[in-house]
Amino acid sequence: MAKTLRDKLVPYTFVLPALLLLALFSLIPIFIALIISFTGLDITGLGDWSQIKFIGLQNYTQLFHDSAFLQSILNTGYYVVIGVPLVILLSLTVAILINFGQNRFFRFMRLVFYTPSITNTVAVAVVWTYMYNPSMGLLNNLFGKIGMGPFPWLSDPATAKISLIILAVWKAIGLNMLIFLAALQGIPESLYEAAELDGAGWWQQTRHITLPSLSFSIFFVTVTTLIGWFQFFDEPFVMTKGGPLNSTNSVALFVYQNGFQNSNFGYAAAGSFIMFAAIILATLVQFKLQKKQQGL
Amino acid sequence: MKLTKWLGISAAAVAAALLLVGCGNSNNSSSGSNGKSITFWYGGDADTAVKPMVDAFTKKTGIKVKIQSIPWSQYNDKLLTAAASKSGPDLVLMGTTGMANYVSSKSLMDISKEVKSDKNISPDKYFEGSVRTTEFNGKYYAVPWYVETRVLYYRKDLLKQVGYNEAPKTWDELYDAATKLSKRGKNMYGFNVDFAEPTFGFMFARQNGATLIKGKTPQFNKKPTVEALEYLAQFYKNGASPKQDLKLTIGQSFGGKAPIPMFISGPWMMASVKKDAGLKDDQWGVAVLPKGKDNNMSNTGGGNLAVFNYSKNKSSAMKLLKYLSTESSQLKYYKNSDSMPTLKSAWTDKSLSDSRIQVFRKQLNSSEPMPLIKQWDQIGQNYLKAWEPVAMQGANVQKAMDQLNSQTEQLLNK
Repeated sequence: MAKTLRDKLVPYTFVLPALLLLALFSLIPIFIALIISFTGLDITGLGDWSQIKFIGLQNYTQLFHDSAFLQSILNTGYYVVIGVPLVILLSLTVAILINFGQNRFFRFMRLVFYTPSITNTVAVAVVWTYMYNPSMGLLNNLFGKIGMGPFPWLSDPATAKISLIILAVWKAIGLNMLIFLAALQGIPESLYEAAELDGAGWWQQTRHITLPSLSFSIFFVTVTTLIGWFQFFDEPFVMTKGGPLNSTNSVALFVYQNGFQNSNFGYAAAGSFIMFAAIILATLVQFKLQKKQQGL
Repeated sequence: MKLTKWLGISAAAVAAALLLVGCGNSNNSSSGSNGKSITFWYGGDADTAVKPMVDAFTKKTGIKVKIQSIPWSQYNDKLLTAAASKSGPDLVLMGTTGMANYVSSKSLMDISKEVKSDKNISPDKYFEGSVRTTEFNGKYYAVPWYVETRVLYYRKDLLKQVGYNEAPKTWDELYDAATKLSKRGKNMYGFNVDFAEPTFGFMFARQNGATLIKGKTPQFNKKPTVEALEYLAQFYKNGASPKQDLKLTIGQSFGGKAPIPMFISGPWMMASVKKDAGLKDDQWGVAVLPKGKDNNMSNTGGGNLAVFNYSKNKSSAMKLLKYLSTESSQLKYYKNSDSMPTLKSAWTDKSLSDSRIQVFRKQLNSSEPMPLIKQWDQIGQNYLKAWEPVAMQGANVQKAMDQLNSQTEQLLNK
């Protein structure tokens, strides 16, 4: 029996609201930004569209000669390369440890690790800025008590990056831990029982049962974390403004500075498209790897 | 089949879009067509300082005013959105540094006619430095409302200890006093060479006789500017100024032993020092800036009132602008907020007789805004980036300025 037109339209009406929102707030703006990235749009052009000039790829070529942009790419790379594995490793470890038991202590630990992720990044970043304060911050005071420091948490170019990563990792563990926990609890108990009968130890069980069963959640967490870290913004925005010496500036912050502080909208749009391309590329690679893994 | 599918989708899309537009309109308070209700954008965390005056205005004229106070840190974002969407407030408080931007985006109404015909808001009543922030290409786009200028804050008691009964009056004295003060011990400094303030170096450059920009050619790598910046870099080199933000509160940096006993700031600092530094009244003072080779010119800032170009209630907005610009309104605003009046005549009022405020008055005679071009924000940011290595790592000033100069040249000729 052939479906009537109405039957075929039904599913579309259900996804329509979501599609509309996606189009209005994501797809159309992205398309407009793409056009803007080929123009020299600045504050004058904003008020008077006749002043907007198309300059082709000039924004893009200029970006790759802009040392500040290149450095922000390197910084973002640094955040991603260090931050993402750290988040996955730590949240997986925490999840496995918490999955050991069901009593009050384990539930409490779950709360402890989850709490940071329900906090607001900006608010937390302000609090951490106080903790990182070189002369009166909590951290330097504590380290001072045991005869260490003072550490230049946010004032030294190399240390500042690490300080921001520590905050972001601390905040990201909770949510990912929860995803892993849910997946862990979905692994059938019978697998472990069988393994135990065969004489497999804890490590072997983890290695050959837990991790493979988690492969999809690991993939999911990797992709979302990766995208999140590519857009690393709140922490440097609130805590360092990209300094000292541009060492904590991320691509997202660079785009913001150029777009909203310097009103170079065309230039900023071009920068954001490079970031967009990088994220898509990284995600595609992830998907490829995942497919390969599942194919095996 | 396919076509009908797409027709359905697009029909729904149009419906939803209309719905959204409808919401947008009802939220947009500026488009009230009767002219009896207008919106006023005000920079600040709360509207307590300006509310009483606006209420009095409503009482007098019957025009309702909705005040939207927006923190300064987000003010520019908000203005950008208004400029791009061509809908926003009716009356808007503009920071003087943002004027060039929003005049160039045609977001502010040309009020030359009103300014020239109404004696009460005539430009010659205001400080020249303030008026310059309202005039672009011979047209007026705003009326100066409050003015800021920067002066030297110093600890009287500590300067006395190193032999200065008065604040330093020249660059040489400033350097000498700062160096002596920094010898008080570890983590003690003399003067804060501000590395977070985009106008700081340029202010000193002008005192050294520099013209910052001639036509479309920046002069940052010429002798007057470079000399002034080398003078400032010297403070870092001999430890008279901190090389980085110490992240201290004003109470910690200026109160007690005062690791930073001298710094340059604006009138907004007065209240903080009084409240948080825990100092006796005779322990600290303010003074006009020390004189460089040429002058002791400070940097004028402040706020202007402007009518938003796409407002539908321009005449009501203009009425509020005029009401807020009267001498009594400016004085009331000063009492509520410590923001200094731009009307010269207001300064004879008793409430401004405080000796510290009079220092600001004196400094206003030698104070000008930074160049009023739309690229200035970015130049300021670029300067900070160029200056950071000088402060932190002792980088070569001439080289840093050569680079800033060519960067700026590109920017101006784009």
